Amino acid sequence: MDAAANPLLTVDRLTIDIGGANVVDDISFTVAPGKVMALVGESGCGKSLTSYAMLGLLPPAARRTAGRIMLENTDLAALSERQFRKARGKDISIIFQEPSASLDPLTTVGSQIAEAYRAHHGVSKAEAYEKARQMLVDVGIPDPARRLDQYPFELSGGMCQRIMISIALICGPRVLVADEPTTALDVTIQAQILDLMKKLVADRGTAIVLITHDMGVVADIADDVAVMYAGRIAEIAPVHDLFRQPKHPYTALLLASVPKLDDAPKADLATIEGTVPTPNEFGVGCRFTERCPLATDKCRTEQPPLFDCGGSHRSACWHIDRMAEIREVAA
Amino acid sequence: MSERQNVLEIRDVAVHFGGRGGLLGKAGPVIKAVNGVDLDIARGETVALVGESGCGKSTLSNTIVGLQAPISGSVRISGDEVVGANRRQLNDIRRKVQMIFQDPALSLDPRSTVGATIGEPLIARGVAKGKALRERVATLLQQVGLRPEHADRYPHQFSGGQRQRVVIARALALEPDLLICDEPVSALDVSVRAQILNLLVALQKRTGVSYLFVSHDLGVVRHICDRVVVMYLGRFVEMADRDTFFANPKHPYTKALMSAVPEADPEVQRAKQRFILSGELPSPSNIPSGCAFHTRCPLATEICSRERPELTPRADGARVACHHA
Ligand SMILES: Nc1ncnc2c1ncn2[C@@H]1O[C@H](COP(=O)(O)OP(=O)(O)OP(=O)(O)O)[C@@H](O)[C@H]1O
Ligand SMILES: Nc1ncnc2c1ncn2[C@@H]1O[C@H](COP(=O)(O)OP(=O)(O)OP(=O)(O)O)[C@@H](O)[C@H]1O
Ligand code: SF4
Ligand code: SF4
Ligand SMILES: [Mg+2]
Ligand SMILES: [Mg+2]
Repeated sequence: MDAAANPLLTVDRLTIDIGGANVVDDISFTVAPGKVMALVGESGCGKSLTSYAMLGLLPPAARRTAGRIMLENTDLAALSERQFRKARGKDISIIFQEPSASLDPLTTVGSQIAEAYRAHHGVSKAEAYEKARQMLVDVGIPDPARRLDQYPFELSGGMCQRIMISIALICGPRVLVADEPTTALDVTIQAQILDLMKKLVADRGTAIVLITHDMGVVADIADDVAVMYAGRIAEIAPVHDLFRQPKHPYTALLLASVPKLDDAPKADLATIEGTVPTPNEFGVGCRFTERCPLATDKCRTEQPPLFDCGGSHRSACWHIDRMAEIREVAA
Repeated sequence: MSERQNVLEIRDVAVHFGGRGGLLGKAGPVIKAVNGVDLDIARGETVALVGESGCGKSTLSNTIVGLQAPISGSVRISGDEVVGANRRQLNDIRRKVQMIFQDPALSLDPRSTVGATIGEPLIARGVAKGKALRERVATLLQQVGLRPEHADRYPHQFSGGQRQRVVIARALALEPDLLICDEPVSALDVSVRAQILNLLVALQKRTGVSYLFVSHDLGVVRHICDRVVVMYLGRFVEMADRDTFFANPKHPYTKALMSAVPEADPEVQRAKQRFILSGELPSPSNIPSGCAFHTRCPLATEICSRERPELTPRADGARVACHHA
């Protein structure tokens, strides 16, 4: 199914300013019900700010200067804080990277989940607790009745992340934003959490925006991928197209720098020279210019728009026709 | 005797925490972080140590460099015993073994220039001073892909990847035989990670340094190591050559780990046979009886909770601790 056919969430030309720099610059993507859109990219490229904007949780230093975030026909970005509080949890929820930092250490996990439910439902505490208990069953926590009475410090990292997920899901939101939900976890626990998310998507038709820098996680769960670089979308495509046929030099090099099954041991991995520009170093042209093996004068002076590459594959590069050269560099 | 020249020989090492009159004089639970560990690393060899958080990887690393005393066993670095060594002996041994950690930011002093940081071990051991010191620091900076003029800068003026290069330069200053790398690239971005891995490989080719490479990223491990050791709740459960290990993993825990690591290729990843573990790592203060993995193992039978399987050699050279693998 084409995500564009019937989007539940539409991020449309979102731009976020911090200190005069567009740290998120003209970001657009859509997510259909039951689909997973992955936002990937290196540290500082604007993944978290994009996700916070969807929840109305931007830090004070950051300001949305343009763009809409449509949940069907509602523009979330135009909501007041009071209206947003109604939407958060019920329509759209977020889970953060560090579960221990986002749970209240002094409240039992049971009452944290129950309160999240009561925020949107006029039910008794006992009813909310019963909901919370069912939720723990759904996220695969054994012995849920006992767990409800425990405090976050009594639980492992994987368990805390499941509690976070329970809080995010208890009101059945239609969109779940997950900011590096498994980065802090062991791979065996990560596999459990990713499976849980797949189940959500399949059973409830939840739309997921998944933020990660792990190409393995993307390969596992995403339907579509937006690769971000220095605040902009470099490339956006269905997951198989992106991995099989990257159309942006940055994506191609990023993929080549990950060790693969059939690599010769200890062979040189492809690298990307230099470092990501900081917001005050963003030039007028393509932000990847300084590190790109294909860069020309045009790249330095003109920002490439997202070009259509067929299907729903798009790439912001002036030299898509020269991608074969990148594959040589990367090999 | 074989030709093999070992820079590290560990015999039957156990490291426990707590137990002896904890807080308020009450004896707390004993945490058995490392148990019955044997390991050799040859000159120029890279051995990867993998396993879940809390399985004892850092504890074992700390024990090797003498930061943590084991309750029993022996650790030899190029023949010299670490366990029970006095301060002067340890000082000598530490020239031969160095350690780098996951977060470069935490291992660098923000108030020292990079040159002072790299030169510090050379000064402390009276290896070089003055002009010779500056030259040595300049060479080290170049070896890790930085420039001599970087010596005058401070850590905050570098990116994460560059800082990790500084940490590596400092660790190499005394030309150690063995470098313990505790998750050296986990905190770095993918593209920077590749640079550091290339650097570690190049340095090994040039100097013959050996690595104990602690990591939970099996893709990285497969790329960089010669041999793999899997640890579960303080014990080695499987060890094998790289190719044997990845072609034919045997221990159920190893298989679970492998199936849990997502491959960066949607076709491969989605076709992969899944073997998702239920449950979580039990506490090392309450290690299950028999095979410690039996509480999560899909192959467990009655004997597994009764008898602890020893590491036994298999036809292809792997060593595995399992009754049924
Ligand atoms: N509160 C803030 N004040 C000032 N600058 C900020 C703030 N939050 C983020 N930034 C800057 O905005 C840019 C984007 O940050 P963001 O947190 O969205 O990156 P990210 O892609 O989530 O990175 P990571 O992978 O490290 O989490 C960065 O340059 C960051 O330094
Ligand atoms: N100084 C200490 N006192 C008490 N317990 C400790 C101490 N150091 C480590 N432990 C415990 O020993 C066990 C092994 O810890 P260790 O740090 O070696 O694990 P690890 O494999 O390095 O984990 P990670 O992947 O999270 O770094 C853990 O249960 C830990 O809580
Ligand atoms: S526009 Fe130019 S600099 Fe940017 S990615 Fe394409 S070739 Fe490289
Ligand atoms: S000994 Fe038994 S419980 Fe342990 S890994 Fe083998 S089959 Fe599983
Ligand atoms: Mg972030
Ligand atoms: Mg550790």
